Amino acid sequence: MSTFILMKILESAPSRYDRGIKMLTFGGVEKAYDNLVAPVKKGDTVLDIGCGTGALTMRAARKGARIKGIDINVDMLDIAKRRINDAGFSGTVEFYEMGVGEMDTLKTASYDVIMSGLCFSELTNDELRFTLKEVKRLLKPGGYFLLADEVIPENILFRVLQWLIRFPLVIITYIFTQTTTHAVRNITLKIRGIGFQIQSKKLSFLKSFIELTARKPEER
Amino acid sequence: MNSLKYFIINAIETMLRMVPFPTKTGVIKIGNPDRNSPVFLTCNFHLTVERVKRALKGMDCYLLVAKSKGINVWCAATGGLFTHHDVISVLKTSGIEELVDHRKVILPQLAATGIEGKIVRQKSDWHVIWGPVYAKDIPAFIRNKLKKNVQMRVVRFPFVQRVEMAIAWAFPISSIAALLILPFWRHLILPLSALIWGMSFFIFLAFPLFENRLSARGKRIGFIVFDFGRGGIQLALWGFFLLLVFGYAAAFHQVNANFILRWSFITLVTTLLFSMDLMGSTPVFKSSLHEDRLLKISIDNNKCKTAGFCELVCPRNCYEIDRHAHNTTIPRADYCVQCGACIVQCPYDALFFKGSDGKILTPEKIRKYKLNLSGKHLVKVG
Ligand SMILES: C[S@@+](CC[C@H](N)C(=O)[O-])C[C@H]1O[C@@H](n2cnc3c(N)ncnc32)[C@H](O)[C@@H]1O
Ligand code: SF4
Ligand code: SF4
Repeated sequence: MSTFILMKILESAPSRYDRGIKMLTFGGVEKAYDNLVAPVKKGDTVLDIGCGTGALTMRAARKGARIKGIDINVDMLDIAKRRINDAGFSGTVEFYEMGVGEMDTLKTASYDVIMSGLCFSELTNDELRFTLKEVKRLLKPGGYFLLADEVIPENILFRVLQWLIRFPLVIITYIFTQTTTHAVRNITLKIRGIGFQIQSKKLSFLKSFIELTARKPEER
Repeated sequence: MNSLKYFIINAIETMLRMVPFPTKTGVIKIGNPDRNSPVFLTCNFHLTVERVKRALKGMDCYLLVAKSKGINVWCAATGGLFTHHDVISVLKTSGIEELVDHRKVILPQLAATGIEGKIVRQKSDWHVIWGPVYAKDIPAFIRNKLKKNVQMRVVRFPFVQRVEMAIAWAFPISSIAALLILPFWRHLILPLSALIWGMSFFIFLAFPLFENRLSARGKRIGFIVFDFGRGGIQLALWGFFLLLVFGYAAAFHQVNANFILRWSFITLVTTLLFSMDLMGSTPVFKSSLHEDRLLKISIDNNKCKTAGFCELVCPRNCYEIDRHAHNTTIPRADYCVQCGACIVQCPYDALFFKGSDGKILTPEKIRKYKLNLSGKHLVKVG
């Protein structure tokens, strides 16, 4: 009923997934994540969009925040749950099998921080637009939006460079994981577009990886 | 012009059938739809989208393309890469909710292995209707007031599809073989490719001749061979190809040991390659890749309320529902391809798989992990 190769692809995907993504960023994600969670304070309510195996979730939990991690991949969530339990944070962290398209069921203005690591580059354009709209609705006034992801450089020269470097990596990653990502385009503009203020922005890997802290304005 | 393009797309993507081919997700307008026009949904495998668009030509409707990682509906849904999340996502984020007043979406029946209509309903306002297996039946399905007859519910393996599968196997295998022997035996590339294409077409076109000998159940023997029960037909096939080779040798060459040895080896390897998952390449048998997974579809008649979802989504028409006697049976369980669709959709959890060792695979497990991981999870279930 299935074609041989496709079935193999499906079976091998979940466990190899993380590895593929790490290869694409040369393991540099780890440090970026450490820096990214800086604004998270003890007692904050935090939403982790596309939490995966819980890399960001864990960092925020260590700071004493209460976190809700959402993801659509049950195998990733299983790993995340195990890790969080082992670290003793099961009291402050909850995971939900939920896609970004279902975020409209969450309560308005209920989060101090919303964060997302390497998930936006997996979304379709429609999903990205929808997600930003929901992030705006869900954050409390003055709340932080933290993003780490792969982006398409704005400068054409860097764009060509990125393509040249990325191309072989994409092939390798594809062989291992049968997935690839779509670097996000104009994300800073899009975040400004929903009325957020950019607080800090760091580009690395030839301007192809963004670490961004934005803030929803306080109500006047 | 359009037909030419369609033909070329079909040709190329058939040759590369084994690799995912993602296309853009979102809403596609077909004809001049209004606020009451039907809404169809399909996966984002490029070839599928092209075919569905063609089937919908002449209608006024919307087509939603949902993310399935560029893989066809059945494989993606069964393997857990096309789930209710992807369906809800496209319903919520594509803007379709602003375009129509109703909340009914027609899904391809084969998606029932992985997409839970009930959850789509709970998490969005949308009501899932299981459409026909093949897009070409959509117009008849609409005329029939969204009711399916048996023909619209079952998978088939007709001539055209067999030709497609023959190409889908022959192209990658012959390409890889050609690359492998390029450095040493360059002069063999042409005859070897011819042999591979010939074998592939022979196997798939002759399928109806040996179909009945393929066993849908029974212990699989050792390695990656056809599921012919005892591997006998591979031998027969190999013998057939050997005869061809010898015939050729006798007619054009002086029969020499080197030639015969080499070609015997090559034909054996290619026969084995083709037998890897022949069953799995057909929609009418279950894949034979997992010999540990001989699952039997079973029903708990105490839980069944004759709701009929199983009959509606079974691509092998295994079910018989007697609505007067309130009795559901599975008289054609032998045809089951273990797709799991009926189990996933049964609202009363009345269906389950039973392993050959008596172990049970519950609906919860199948819904959560889909069938790609059930091999792993089956072991754990007591
Ligand atoms: C590359 S992983 C990153 C995981 C984690 N944040 C990390 O950095 O380790 C991306 C995750 O996004 C999830 N994801 C993809 N599309 C999603 C969607 N539409 N809604 C929610 N999660 C999604 C995937 O399941 C995957 O676990
Ligand atoms: S087994 Fe389930 S889906 Fe089938 S008729 Fe019974 S209750 Fe309905
Ligand atoms: S009876 Fe078998 S073939 Fe039919 S839907 Fe259930 S699992 Fe699939």
